[in-house]
Amino acid sequence: MSGHHISSAKFLWGVGISLFVLTFITVAVTWIQIPEPWNVVVAISIAVVKALIVAAFFMNLYWDTKFNVMLFIMSVVFFGLLIGITLLDTMYRTDPIPSF
Amino acid sequence: MSETSVVEEKKSHLLHHFVDSDQQFEASKMGMWVFLVTEILFFGGLFAAYIVYRAWYPDLYLQASEELDTFWGAVNTAVLIGSSLTVAMAIRSAQLNQIKGLIINLYITIGLAFTFMVIKYFEYAHKFEKGILPGSYYNYEGIAHEKANIFFSIYYMMTGLHGIHVLIGIGLMIWLVVKAKKNVLHSGYYTPVEITGLYWHLVDVIWIFLFPLLYLID
Repeated sequence: MSGHHISSAKFLWGVGISLFVLTFITVAVTWIQIPEPWNVVVAISIAVVKALIVAAFFMNLYWDTKFNVMLFIMSVVFFGLLIGITLLDTMYRTDPIPSF
Repeated sequence: MSETSVVEEKKSHLLHHFVDSDQQFEASKMGMWVFLVTEILFFGGLFAAYIVYRAWYPDLYLQASEELDTFWGAVNTAVLIGSSLTVAMAIRSAQLNQIKGLIINLYITIGLAFTFMVIKYFEYAHKFEKGILPGSYYNYEGIAHEKANIFFSIYYMMTGLHGIHVLIGIGLMIWLVVKAKKNVLHSGYYTPVEITGLYWHLVDVIWIFLFPLLYLID
């Protein structure tokens, strides 16, 4: 519950290094040419893992109040709604794609 | 008399409508998270545009992405992750009352943020020279796709808005250095450092998604 969690320097460096390693992996997997659409799935999955590491251990959500965690989760949920409902329109249009 | 003034000075950050420092800290942090939610949805609109147009023109994205230099994109990702680490270290220094360490970590963060912007400047300049400009100013012939300008309009909007956030972050860090040098910040009151840190980490998270989506798809 406490908002005053103090991470050790060693821990913070560990988090940073894991993020550097994941950045290297996300670049390295493009060298082995994974076929569509799995290259996108792999790239986004690695990005999601990195983002969760930053949110949990740099932004301290792991030790934070449930309310702040809920705010973060709700932002992701509403982003999903935005994408989902928009694609329900744009992917199933009978009209041709607009000129812009 | 002198004793009360010392206590008052230590508590000078506490606003009268809060019960204590902890309540004030938690309220500020929650307010920042609400702001970050609006930021996620602010960028979310641009990510939605990216996804819709990628679904319509998958080939365009593959072709146009080759104009982006993966190496410099990866370097900038590392630079931003490094700056997130130094911000986390700055918060730790503030929590432990190590004001000198706080200022040093903030200076490194500012340096890394400028490094990011300088690399971004050279990337933009290189594209402008070729005629890869946003929207109707686009006049580059190198991509055999009639909608090539759409990819770069999305690219400039997303990286441009992100870049503005980095510049605002630099301003906030400088403000923190000034505050720290005035001895306003200590282990009992480091709320501005904590909150600026949250903002900076979010800017890092946005770039973590921009890098594979824009640079790594070719």
